[in-house]
Parts: sequence; C-alpha cells; structure tokens
Amino acid sequence: MKKVTALLLALVMCLSLASCGGSKSADAQEAPASAATDLQNVQSKGTLVVGITDFEPMDYKDENGNWIGFDADLATAFAESLGVSVEFAEINWDNKILELDGGSIDCIWNGMTLTDEVTSAASCSNPYMRNAQVVVLPADKAEEYADIESMADLTFAVESGSAGEEAVSELGYATTPVTAQADALMEVAAGTSDAAVIDLLMAYAMVGEGTSYDNLTYTITLNEEQYGVAFRKDSDLTAALNDFFAAQYADGSLDALAETYGLAGSVIPQ
Amino acid sequence: MELFQQQLPIVIHSLNIGFLQTLKLFFVTLIGAIPLGLVIAFGSMSRFKPLSALSRTFVWIIRGTPLMIQLLIIYYFPGLVLNNNIWGSGETGRFLASAISFIINYACYFSEIYRGGIQGVPNGQNEAGLVLGMTRRQIFFKVTLLQMIKRIVPPMSNEIITLVKDTSLARIIALQEIIWAGQAFMKGSQGISGAIWPLFFTAIYYLICNGVLTVLLGRLERRLDYFR
Repeated sequence: MKKVTALLLALVMCLSLASCGGSKSADAQEAPASAATDLQNVQSKGTLVVGITDFEPMDYKDENGNWIGFDADLATAFAESLGVSVEFAEINWDNKILELDGGSIDCIWNGMTLTDEVTSAASCSNPYMRNAQVVVLPADKAEEYADIESMADLTFAVESGSAGEEAVSELGYATTPVTAQADALMEVAAGTSDAAVIDLLMAYAMVGEGTSYDNLTYTITLNEEQYGVAFRKDSDLTAALNDFFAAQYADGSLDALAETYGLAGSVIPQ
Repeated sequence: MELFQQQLPIVIHSLNIGFLQTLKLFFVTLIGAIPLGLVIAFGSMSRFKPLSALSRTFVWIIRGTPLMIQLLIIYYFPGLVLNNNIWGSGETGRFLASAISFIINYACYFSEIYRGGIQGVPNGQNEAGLVLGMTRRQIFFKVTLLQMIKRIVPPMSNEIITLVKDTSLARIIALQEIIWAGQAFMKGSQGISGAIWPLFFTAIYYLICNGVLTVLLGRLERRLDYFR
C-alpha cells in the first residue's frame, strides 16, 4: 500500500513538474511570437483563416459549395487587400475564443454580436452592422404576451453565451441555455420552453412559412446590438480592418453589398 | 409534402457526406485502438511494477474523464498552452485530433476487455504449457490468444456499437460528422432553414450501420463457437 502511495505521489510530482516546464517553454516562445505581428504572420503563411458557422445571410454555401454571404464576401475582399487568400473554417460557436487563441483561426467573422464577453477576450473591430434580439413565441400566444412585462412568468430558451441570454438575464427572467439558436427554436416548437430569444436576422430566415416553424412568430425587440469582427488580443489586424471598413464605406461598396444580401439600412456608418 | 420532396435529395447528399466522415472516424479508431489496446493490456499485466502502475494510472485517467474533455484538450491544448498549434487550420487537423483522441480513449477500454479475456483463460493451461517446455510467447500465441478472442467478442461488440454513436462527440471540435450535417439544416444551410427532420433522420443511418455490425459480429461469434 505504501509503495502504491509513493508511486502516486511520484506521478503527481512528475505531472506538476511537467506542467511547470510547459508554462516556462510557453513563456519563452512568446518573445519571438510577439516580434512578428499578427499581420506579418498572416502574410507570411499567405492565408487569412476566418472562423464561421453556417449562418445565412452572413456566411453560407452556394450551390457549388463556395462560401458566400455578406460577411464571407467582405472577408474575401479584406484578405485580398492584405494580399493573402481567404480560408473559411467552420467552428463550434461555443469554442470561438479557444479557436482564436489556439491559432486554428485568425478571426471570428460571422455576424458576431459585440458583447462584453467577446470584447474582453479578444480585440474587436469597429461595429459594422446593426442587429436586434427578438422574442419568438407560438403564433397563437403572441397576442396574449404583447409586451415584455407580460412575459415575466415565461421560460426563455436562449443560446448559451449569446446576446439574447444576456438580455433575458438582465430582465431577471428564467432562461434555459441551449447550445445553438436553432435548438432554442426547437424548444419552443416542442413546448419545452415558452419562448426563445434569437437574432432578428436569424428569425427572418427560420421562423414563419416554408420552415418547420410555421406556427411560431417573432414579436417584440429586446435590445439593439451591433456586429463586429474579433481578432486575437493586441492584433494589428484590427486596425487594418477598421481602415478597410472606412474605405469600403466611403466608396459605397459596403452599402451595395448589404443591398445584395437584403440587409440594406443595417450598415453602420464608418 | 412537395417541399419535403425538394429538400430530401439535398439533405440526403449532405448527410451522406457527414456519414462518410463518421465512418472514416469509426474505422480509423478501430484500426488504431485494437492493437494499441493490446499493448496497454500487456502493460497493465506486466510483472514489472512501475510499468503496470503507469499503464493502470493511464487507463484510470482516460476512463475517468469524459471523451468530450479529451477531445477539447487534444485539439486546443497545443495552441493555447504551448503556443504551437500543431493541427493547422483545415478539416484534416480536426479529423486527426479526433482520431487520436478516440484511439487513445477506446484503446483503454479495449485493454481492460483484453485483460479480462486473457486472465479468464484458466491458469492451469499456462502451467501445462510451462511443463511442456513452451516459452511464454508460445503459450500466448498458441494457447491463450484464440481462447481470449472467443471470450472478448461479446464485450467488444458492445464497445464497437457504442463507438459508432460516440463519433458524434467529435462535433465539439467542429468535425463535420453526420449529426453536424443534420443540425446545419435547423439553422439554415443550402437554402433549407428551420428544418428539424434531418437531425432525427440521422438516427436511421446509425440504425442501419449498427444493424450491419450486429449481424457481422454475431456471425463472428458463431464461427468461434467450436472453441467451447
């Protein structure tokens, strides 16, 4: 028994030593990494890897399997302006900051709401588009719950970590966090939650006729919010993108692109 | 109904691509974990105490933590903590990381099944072999191995069928297997949005796949019957 204990202790010591060693070597590696800026790194590898999810009309695939959409087209143009090619990587939205810090993507560019969580964990661009959070209800209950005060007793399905969750929590109403906005809708359709809070853009695409949710409807707007792009902390790509946005807005191409994807009027002046 | 008929080919195509990824992960895991499990089993049974303690601790850690956490650690740890993202940025890196996590995880479960199978062969046979002047190696390959295989087929079948379904965990690091493909239509993909049925439809793929596996493994079990 003593031997086993001794072995276990030795193992724990080895592990803790190894972890110390690990962090030390990490520190040592940081010095050369910060010597080359993010922009230089992207240019030397020749690709800008953009973390996205399938999210019409921001990032989605056309019939040939190519990524298009307001954000996808804009990201392609931005990469071109840096002189690199663009690569889209579908990520699990819950892990977006992990993906960014781990280096498997260079930016998160997917109709991302600028919440405190994101702005504190990453370097974010200027907001470029407006969006809102809306409440989704079964159509036959929409009249009964006409304003936000009447909804105090409802349980809201929200995407975990989303701006919608933040908005409902601020009101002090009960929430059921789920992994995706689509799951939040399924909760309402199945009756396991009374209502859901999702992006207006998403509600456009997913609720109403021609979808599996034709008996749902979206009603009141909870709060206005803004979309931005996230880069690694202290990245110089953020400034480069802000300049790019300003130029694109000045020559009208940002508005033209918004027109193409049915988002006219949502662009924020740069 | 008309809408469904329009959507069906698009969804099937997408699910097929996803299921191919699922199958790829399944077979790669089996090919890697079946031999690795044997190595770990020998480690756990070794008479050299530090080695057996080491492999038993390893098995304890891997079996004692969720596969989902192992996937996250293997994929994100190198880039986050060591500042060296060894997986690159493409789909290949995600698949490799998933495959390695699954191989390690399943090898540990297999190793315990092997250990049970080997230790279940009566020790008298081992002693008889030694009396006849056989080496330990000869005893294992000529006496123990086939009996062990016969004994481990039912528990292995169980794990193999579980593996088919466990592959869906890889979506945590955005490996686009069949559940991912089905869920994409809930949110909106290829012009179909807000469709719930593709997600539930994926169950049919798993059912058919596991049906085939059950028949094959059942046949294998019958062929090994004469060892009784």
